[in-house]
Amino acid sequence: MRSHAVDARGVGKTYGEGALAYAALRDVDFFASAGEFVLVSGPSGSGKTTLLSILGCVLRPSAGEVTLFGRDVSRAREGDLPALRRELIGFVFQGHNLIASLSARENVELALRVRGRGAGEAAREARDLLARVGLADKADSLPRDLSGGQRQRVAVARALAGDPPLVLADEPTASLDAKAGALVTGLLKGLARERGATVVVVTHDERIFHLGDRIVRIEDGKVTEGGVS
Amino acid sequence: MSGPFARWGAMAKVGVRMMFHDRLKLAGTLFGVVFATLLADQQLGVLLGLLSKNLMFVDHAGADLWVLPAGAQTFQPGKPISLSALTATEVVPGVAWAEPLIYAGGTLSLPGGGSEPVSVVGTRAPRYKGGPWNLVAGSAEALARPDAMIFEDSEREKLGGLNLGSVRELNGRRVVAAGFTWGLLPFGPSYSFAGYDLARELARFDADRTSYVLAGVAPGADPAAVKRAVQARNPDLLVLTRAEFKAKIVTYIFASTGIGASFGASTGFGLLVGLVIVSLSMFSAVVDNVREFGTLKAMGATTGDLAALLLTQSVVYALVGTLIGLGVVSHVADAIRSPKLALVLPWQLYAGTFGVMLLLCSLASSLALVRLRRVEPAMVFR
Repeated sequence: MRSHAVDARGVGKTYGEGALAYAALRDVDFFASAGEFVLVSGPSGSGKTTLLSILGCVLRPSAGEVTLFGRDVSRAREGDLPALRRELIGFVFQGHNLIASLSARENVELALRVRGRGAGEAAREARDLLARVGLADKADSLPRDLSGGQRQRVAVARALAGDPPLVLADEPTASLDAKAGALVTGLLKGLARERGATVVVVTHDERIFHLGDRIVRIEDGKVTEGGVS
Repeated sequence: MSGPFARWGAMAKVGVRMMFHDRLKLAGTLFGVVFATLLADQQLGVLLGLLSKNLMFVDHAGADLWVLPAGAQTFQPGKPISLSALTATEVVPGVAWAEPLIYAGGTLSLPGGGSEPVSVVGTRAPRYKGGPWNLVAGSAEALARPDAMIFEDSEREKLGGLNLGSVRELNGRRVVAAGFTWGLLPFGPSYSFAGYDLARELARFDADRTSYVLAGVAPGADPAAVKRAVQARNPDLLVLTRAEFKAKIVTYIFASTGIGASFGASTGFGLLVGLVIVSLSMFSAVVDNVREFGTLKAMGATTGDLAALLLTQSVVYALVGTLIGLGVVSHVADAIRSPKLALVLPWQLYAGTFGVMLLLCSLASSLALVRLRRVEPAMVFR
């Protein structure tokens, strides 16, 4: 019986074949409880982002099982993965990845519309979320007119739009100064907690380690610390 | 709107915003559509213009039925038929009227020496079926005057500076300019109208010969049945409805001149170049925005959703490009319009152009979609 919101057991990921095969993850067990704020740390190339990609249903594991909120996503058909992502997961990317031609509000609305929300409902929720991240006055600005920190706050609002139960963040503070990084991570944690969302953040940034409920360390494709739950 | 429709609506909006965000690429893609529209419609407009020149006489003659020499392929001077065909046609029940028409070649002697060919059309009073139209001076009734003829206004200089009352020699006989038409220039020499007897004399036809017999079907009569009856009365001749005669002329032109292949090749070339430009532009736009498309996939957009995005872009490109292209081609048509050359641009061509451009842009987007299908959502983490 699986009791964790995020439950990954014996997960492996190998790129390439034969002599060129490279194991990015080896027999990894990873768990996160509902509402938990977990940081995943480790050196470059240790497999953090590969784990995040597998948890985010954008990459298939070579071995093991992944269950999100009781659903075995590692055995889901390829065609079912987009629906699983819409239903379960919000993303915050290292480079914010906002749509350059859409305003801050429209970027958040887009996530809601992709999740099937009507236009009016999406507009209301987008406005509310932007207000919560302190960008109500920047709602109509294009990403190019926002600072790095502001863009990442829009990305946080977008990731939480539609109340996905799981939010995955990949180095969200990598390109931010200490103050902006702390602000973005604090917002992510606060808003996720309000909504009961589980958050997994991949980061090198030791300045935000104190915000994690738990820190999982990965080295050479294996969990070396904090993986037990 | 919710569920998948909300997604498609959102994708449509993203597609349009992406288009207008990159103005340079937008201009490049629209150039492809405008180029294809311009070249294709210019070529088709000229082709339709040339066809209309060859069909205008049949269109304006006012006849429902044409009695022609057997084996006639088009409207041109040829071997005369017996005038008995006129009587044979007139007596058929359902025929409201029948008129003979003379159509023959002529040579007009110029005052300073030399000569110019004209097409002599002889029409009978008082109906003047097959008579002059688009008159800019004089009237059809003027043909009742002795030696009177009506010439084409745009050919006046060519015909030796013709004016009302100018006297010329046509096929060795004295004629007088009694009026002018505008724009009646077929492929061959311009139409020059005369009264029936004068035309017969100019054509050197015997009194019992004529070129064609035109007939009108009485209101309420079945044109097909009347045609069959007229044909039965004229077994050695060919009887065609107006539509049939026009179709025969078009077929003859395409078969005998190669004009269809020539214009078709130019039109096809324009469409092909447009397809290549639009395909490359849309493909390049996908490559430039591949990270955004990866993000959309990571957020849960399906390949079908992204196809909706590209399809929306195709519709907008087709619509905007066609409108601009048609606007340009309409201005070109106005600028070059003359009796000798006129682009004919019917509404069906406009509607068809949009349809073809929509198809072209959709085809072009399919190349971009092939690239989009290969976009892995995991790329957003690299």
